[in-house]
Amino acid sequence: MSRRPAHHRLPEGGCIDRSRPVRFSFNGRQMTGYAGDTLASALLANGVDVIARSFKYRRPRGFFGSGLEDPLAMLAVRDAYGYDAAIRAAQVPLADGMAVHANTGWPLSSFDVGGLIRPFARFIKAGFYYKTFMWPNWRWFEPLIRRTTGFGRIDAIAAVRPAERVHASCDVLVIGGGTAGMAAAHALINSGHEVVLADDRPRLGGALAWTDADIDGRTADAWLHDRSAAIADADNIHLLSSTVVTGAYEGNVFTMLQYVHANDGVVLQRHWKLRVGKVILATGSVERPLVFPGNDRPGIMLASAMSRYIREFAVIPATRVCVFTNNDAGYDAAFTASRAGIDVACVIDTRDVPPVRLQSALEAEGISQMTGSEIIHTHGSTRLSGITVRARSGGAARRIDCDGLALAGGVSPLVHLAAHRGIKPVYDPDVAAFVPGAWPENWTGAGDVQTPMTPDQAAASGVAAASQVLGKKQDVADAVPNPFNIEAYWRPPTGDAGMMFVDLQNDVTVADIELAAREGYVSVEHLKRYTTLGMGTDQGRTSNINGLAIMAGLSGRDITEVGTTTFRPPYTAVPMGAVAANRTGPLYRAARYLPAHDIHDAAGAVFEDVGWLRPDWYRQNGKGREAAVLKEMAAARHAVGLFDGSPLGKIEVAGPDARAFLDLFYVSNIMTLKPGRIRYSLMLHVDGVIFDDGVVTCIDDTLFVVGCSSGNADAVAAWLERWHQTEWPSMQVAVAPVTSNWASIAVAGPRARDVLAALNPDVDISSTAFPHMSFREGAIGGMMSRVSRVSFTGELQYEINVPAAQGDALLERLMEIAAPMGGCLVGLEAWLRLRLEKGYLHVGADTNGRTTPLDLGMGGIIDKKPGDFIGRRSLSLAYAVSADREQLVGIKCTAAPLRAGGRILAGDDTRPPCRSEGYVTSACFSPSLGFHVGLALLENGSERMGETVRIYDDGDIIKAEVCRPGAYDPDNERLMA
Amino acid sequence: MIIIRCPYCHEDRHEEELEYGGEADIARPTPPAQATDDAWTDYLYMRTNPRGVHFEQWCCRAGCGQWFKVARHTVTHDITEVIRYEDRFAYQKDRDA
Repeated sequence: MSRRPAHHRLPEGGCIDRSRPVRFSFNGRQMTGYAGDTLASALLANGVDVIARSFKYRRPRGFFGSGLEDPLAMLAVRDAYGYDAAIRAAQVPLADGMAVHANTGWPLSSFDVGGLIRPFARFIKAGFYYKTFMWPNWRWFEPLIRRTTGFGRIDAIAAVRPAERVHASCDVLVIGGGTAGMAAAHALINSGHEVVLADDRPRLGGALAWTDADIDGRTADAWLHDRSAAIADADNIHLLSSTVVTGAYEGNVFTMLQYVHANDGVVLQRHWKLRVGKVILATGSVERPLVFPGNDRPGIMLASAMSRYIREFAVIPATRVCVFTNNDAGYDAAFTASRAGIDVACVIDTRDVPPVRLQSALEAEGISQMTGSEIIHTHGSTRLSGITVRARSGGAARRIDCDGLALAGGVSPLVHLAAHRGIKPVYDPDVAAFVPGAWPENWTGAGDVQTPMTPDQAAASGVAAASQVLGKKQDVADAVPNPFNIEAYWRPPTGDAGMMFVDLQNDVTVADIELAAREGYVSVEHLKRYTTLGMGTDQGRTSNINGLAIMAGLSGRDITEVGTTTFRPPYTAVPMGAVAANRTGPLYRAARYLPAHDIHDAAGAVFEDVGWLRPDWYRQNGKGREAAVLKEMAAARHAVGLFDGSPLGKIEVAGPDARAFLDLFYVSNIMTLKPGRIRYSLMLHVDGVIFDDGVVTCIDDTLFVVGCSSGNADAVAAWLERWHQTEWPSMQVAVAPVTSNWASIAVAGPRARDVLAALNPDVDISSTAFPHMSFREGAIGGMMSRVSRVSFTGELQYEINVPAAQGDALLERLMEIAAPMGGCLVGLEAWLRLRLEKGYLHVGADTNGRTTPLDLGMGGIIDKKPGDFIGRRSLSLAYAVSADREQLVGIKCTAAPLRAGGRILAGDDTRPPCRSEGYVTSACFSPSLGFHVGLALLENGSERMGETVRIYDDGDIIKAEVCRPGAYDPDNERLMA
Repeated sequence: MIIIRCPYCHEDRHEEELEYGGEADIARPTPPAQATDDAWTDYLYMRTNPRGVHFEQWCCRAGCGQWFKVARHTVTHDITEVIRYEDRFAYQKDRDA
């Protein structure tokens, strides 16, 4: 794996706690780090330098960054509390017992057979996927591509990491706990404002952990210590460490993800929604690499990352390093490495004339310098072993041996959160960076996020931001323009563009950008999608600006003109489990139980969650579902069946205008509905499409009960209420949803009247006194009841409604009475098959988003109604009366089973592919009829009775006959009995 | 996140507690039977869909259940006017005056 010495940790220094070793494993190998390490620093300290294989070309890759910007080191991590299939090693604090695996590379990241794909790399250029989807055939490539791409493996038995949600608010949110953010928060101590300071790292200080600086005339360490202590002590500053602000939304609402760490892992993820008065954005900046051939080898990293690994974690990332820079900041890495005792071979500076003070400082450290130079090659089989350097003006190339290379290509302000709110970053050529042009309302910036600045300036700008929040005027010294004397250098003018990596996560090279430019994908949004530049989990933090600058050069535009792609939330990957938090199972949606749930349970009900927990069927002596369903159907057809219909929607509509109000909703005439009578009807959307069906009961002239389908109970009540409030507010009517106030048991079958009689009702229940589609109130079984004689099954049927609290008592009595008659409980499946034998429709199953009452053959009913109703005018529009509409018909066949979903083939066609003229909406075998019955939506179906159609069902062709719905008891003799 | 103070119950409600109801003041032709096909399909389908201030209906669904009207900027989500359902927006009052 490595030719490097066994010691990768400096003998002293760093923010690690050497008194507390932390044991973990990587690919099964036991390793040790220290408390305070990140997983990345601990792996480096254990000599791991190849951590991944690249996405497309399977090239070996190492640690490139030291934080959220790292494009490469995505690992599978299991700690004591959960499993992350792919998480950036640099953002994971090391924890005891952590088991870590590389995600890419087989059998190992350091030796990967997939690397054999490299000779074919020229076939996987930009736009490969788009082109392959078109030609020759995506399916040839899919299996290979699916196997060799992707980050992370799903763990089917992964422990679910505990997560919770928090909703909170504060006066001021300071985002970022580096120099500027700390200075701002410190200035807000005792200001009377409630302040949240959110920082994504476990420790405050940001880049101060690895930067030499004097702030306010004190050393960085002293300043950091003092400010940290004051912030920790302040009552009005709430410090949220290890907390990433992931999104900024209108109304100054922010989402944040907080990791709560224990010694052995992330004990809790907390997903915040924080509503904020004012915002100080102090997110700082991230360094960019330089682009040159072979810039992706392990051992090459950002200069800031190298400094950070050495100073914050006391890691020796390489034994002999070079630095490649286009600005002064890169020199820090050289000095840091040199002072840590690491051999620094050379600083290669693209600028012809770097500041003299830097030259002198290098001389003092004994480090050589090449100015006006660039790297034209890198060497090494796996890890970097050397670079070849040449003057930009030409001349001889020179090879330098090194196993580490630090890249400093300038910095990019982390403006993402402001951009979430619609702020467009603007290019500032002086600092070669996109800076925020303006701030959203009630926002201000502090520190590097505004423009690159020194730590001293950042601290001052933090204090100034706090003053602004407090409404005080304060003069701030303007930041020195271009404090690091950057000279833009985007790419070498010559060399193998296919080896110049811009996006290291997605393997996008300069050659890909050139191809995109040639093929006309020159807009940044097209460039991104065509090449996948910046589309990885790192969201192109280190690659976007380089990529669009290179595109600007290729298309002869300046960078300002090219602009950036749109930044959208989240700022970094957020685990779905953290968003869902505890909203799972019953906490996702509360279970609704029938009033008589326990009785159903005791009777062997197999429940199905359809919004309510409803019995689908009842277990009987170990028989399966099908046998049980047939037995339940037989009971209802030959004796009596008891069905719990409590979830059916019940909405009371009361008031002097109740009748006229309801008449506006139903296709049937409600004006003529007499007290004690019930009418079946349909409710439509404004465009004439069926919304719901149900029965309307007239109790008296000012009180009606709307019965609607269970699934629409809430929607219908809201619909009535909305029209009342917004269209007919002067109508005197009140709408009261009362569904769960009542238990409703349907008693269906030839013995239904005998069952009702056994309850000693105080009303006459003879067929003449209590006919079909009528309603009675009375004492039944000693309970105050509302009884409707309606039928969903085609049998004589009563629905007995009692107050919900008496539901179990009613059901128990009914079971006692029905059992000796051969009756039993009937579940939802048998109930739906009974109605299908009868040919009654089930809205939502037998109708779709186009079906109107005309398609059901209800034109006659509508013609007879004098008044208007919602949707009526739409039924005379051209689309509603066209000849090719799908109409509801019955179908039957004797041989093969019919199933819902089968497509009806057009005319003479016998095999697909061909046009379809409709589909089977419901189907089952009818034990009463002895053949298969179903309903179908069929083009011009009402004119096609008796026709034989072919139905395509999962490969089989079934012949069936079109008929009128309702083959069972067509004369309604049983219904009216 | 959209936060609106309900003009009936006077509580701040955020978007998870509210129901959106589309553009406000779309007049239903009456009587519908006398509306032309064009007038009726305009009522059904035609909306202004502006980039800018949009006059729309919201319901205090998780609160008092009342429908009300809001002027909202479709780009910034700035809420500039919240009125009871029977009231008229300021621009309409100006026009009336």
